[in-house]
Amino acid sequence: MTASTPAGKILLPSPILDDGDALHFCSTCAFGSVCLPAGVDKRALQDLHMLVEHVGPYRAGDVVFHQGSPFSAIFAVRSGVVKTRRVEETGREQVLGFHLPGEVVGLNAIHPARYPCDAVALDTVYVCRFSFPALATLAGKIPDVQQRLFELLSADIGRVTQLVGDHPADERLAAFLLELSERFAARGFSASRFHLTMSRVDIANYLRLAAETVSRVLRRLQEQGLIRIDGREVELRDLAQLRELAHTLRA
Amino acid sequence: MNPALPQFDPALIARYDVAGPRYTSYPAAPQFHSDFGEAALRTFVQASNDDPIPRALSLYVHVPFCLSPCFYCGCTRVITRDRSKAGVYLERLYREIERVAPLFARDRVVEQLHFGGGTPNFLDAAQMSDLMESLGRHFSFSRAAEREFGIELDPRFCDGDYVRMLAQHGFNRVSVGIQDFDPAVQAAVNRIQSVEQTREILQAARAAGYRSLSVDLIYGLPKQSVAGFSATLDRVIELAPDRIATYAYAHLPERFKAQRQLDAEYLPDAATRLALLATTVDKLTAAGYRYVGMDHFAKADDDLVRAQDSGTLQRNFQGYSTHGDCDLIGLGMSSISHIGRSFSQNARDLISYYAAIDAGRLPIARGLAMSEDDVIRADLIQALMCHGTLRIPEFEQRHALDFRVYFANELERLQTLVADGLVTIEPDRIGITARGRFLLRVIAMCFDAHLARNAMPEVRYSRAL
Repeated sequence: MTASTPAGKILLPSPILDDGDALHFCSTCAFGSVCLPAGVDKRALQDLHMLVEHVGPYRAGDVVFHQGSPFSAIFAVRSGVVKTRRVEETGREQVLGFHLPGEVVGLNAIHPARYPCDAVALDTVYVCRFSFPALATLAGKIPDVQQRLFELLSADIGRVTQLVGDHPADERLAAFLLELSERFAARGFSASRFHLTMSRVDIANYLRLAAETVSRVLRRLQEQGLIRIDGREVELRDLAQLRELAHTLRA
Repeated sequence: MNPALPQFDPALIARYDVAGPRYTSYPAAPQFHSDFGEAALRTFVQASNDDPIPRALSLYVHVPFCLSPCFYCGCTRVITRDRSKAGVYLERLYREIERVAPLFARDRVVEQLHFGGGTPNFLDAAQMSDLMESLGRHFSFSRAAEREFGIELDPRFCDGDYVRMLAQHGFNRVSVGIQDFDPAVQAAVNRIQSVEQTREILQAARAAGYRSLSVDLIYGLPKQSVAGFSATLDRVIELAPDRIATYAYAHLPERFKAQRQLDAEYLPDAATRLALLATTVDKLTAAGYRYVGMDHFAKADDDLVRAQDSGTLQRNFQGYSTHGDCDLIGLGMSSISHIGRSFSQNARDLISYYAAIDAGRLPIARGLAMSEDDVIRADLIQALMCHGTLRIPEFEQRHALDFRVYFANELERLQTLVADGLVTIEPDRIGITARGRFLLRVIAMCFDAHLARNAMPEVRYSRAL
């Protein structure tokens, strides 16, 4: 990915540079932090026939799993951004969420054992595939893994607050940007500057707004000095004011 | 942000009189290639719609016809007295508009519109009205006062009624070709145009409320003399346009067929060319015009000067602009588009342009996707051309690079220019000196990666002066 970096170009942190191997976890691994303290390294996982498989690259638009197909694994994003979406019977697409490096996709498929949505790569994406029967077995043996799984499930349920209720567009967008910022920061990326991989149509769909509204509101936030947007690069310039704007959605 | 006042040094300028691109784009048009086609263009358009705040739009419409050939011309144009040819062309242009406009999100407003040629006023009033009506229907025109709707006019085939008709369609800028009022020069270049014809158009435009009037002059034409050009400059200053472009004539008869009709015997020598430029700078500066850069002068209260002062000036295909951060859509034969990090150009002759439209395709013939390195260098060249200075720490942060490592070779190449007093290199900035301001092109060439790789003789550019 970075083989042809010209002299003088400064490498930005990329989780993919820190690739795990047979004995080490990737630094972004969703489970590495709980497995290691519990004394389970990757060799032990393999002994348990636990399938942790690195998959990718997926290109923008490629599907990681399909809505309706049988549930077999959950996926942790290693690099890139994955969108989940449901296609309604009318053919209309509904964006459910965006998953950043270190985050897990597919948790909502555990019951009824079918994926309720598509997972689509928004840019070049690498994932870790955790075979679910094997992970469930592991969770039964290692309480910390089970705990981590519950945490992930709980976080997944809590993520929909921005869509509930009748909040004005600027509050929703402020909340959306703040949430992304916090999730990037949690993975060691900058909290105030990040790349917006998702298209404005996807953002609009996710927040149940018109695409024009997304742009109009972002332009207004920019004019007010709260954010700055250059192409896909976003800078949050006034976190306090953004939080103030978004507070009703972020109890 | 106010660049150093230009200082004219003939000896220095003569030494650096080399061929090079004008950097209305980087990479320059000779780098475009035919591998970049319709599919690639559509991908870039989609990506530009997907930005959280999509850029506003700028339209360029090319009218390739001229009623009479000017012998100095290097533009892509078709000489004809047959006005019906416009109808045939417009039919294809409408189909291109219908095909291109829906690719762009409807809430992206057109902030800038420019008609160039050829001769845009080859179209009669009815044709022009229909065309503007079609553009307004297929695109969302900005209603803001800052919108720039400009057109190039040939005063020999135009009148006050036409200028007022254009104003009704929203045009607020006009650019009028003069080149030189000297009768001997006009005869030599086959362009006889009186001061009165020119004044009529400019006065009509002023009365109709146009915000900016611009005129074009050319130095280095056959039979030009300092005395004759000096008199032209006096007439031009009396006409009081807001902007004056003074282009250097580049005699490239092997590339531009029209120029083969010029009698090269009467071309001014290098010393005269320099004297012509020196006279231009002296007179226009004395008359209160500010040298913006490259070929362009503007009154101190013009938008261009204000943009330069506030750091928002941009370079584009029309020279300099206050709306350079738009996505540019080129419509018509040979027009260039600049969407996101791509450049593309339509077919450069009528037969290919018509064939593409008739086959249901976009008429794109060539283009390129900018590499990351292209983006970095384009930004750098833009900063030097527009503001005469580059702030290194901000540039390093913007592009995540170590300037002195990334541009080690270029900084070495610049040393000659530093020694000649054209450029200063300080820890946190590169600055263009007063002496260097007339040699922007040479300074930019030091950073042009495509020039370094290409053997110069293959691609012909005009000279830096």
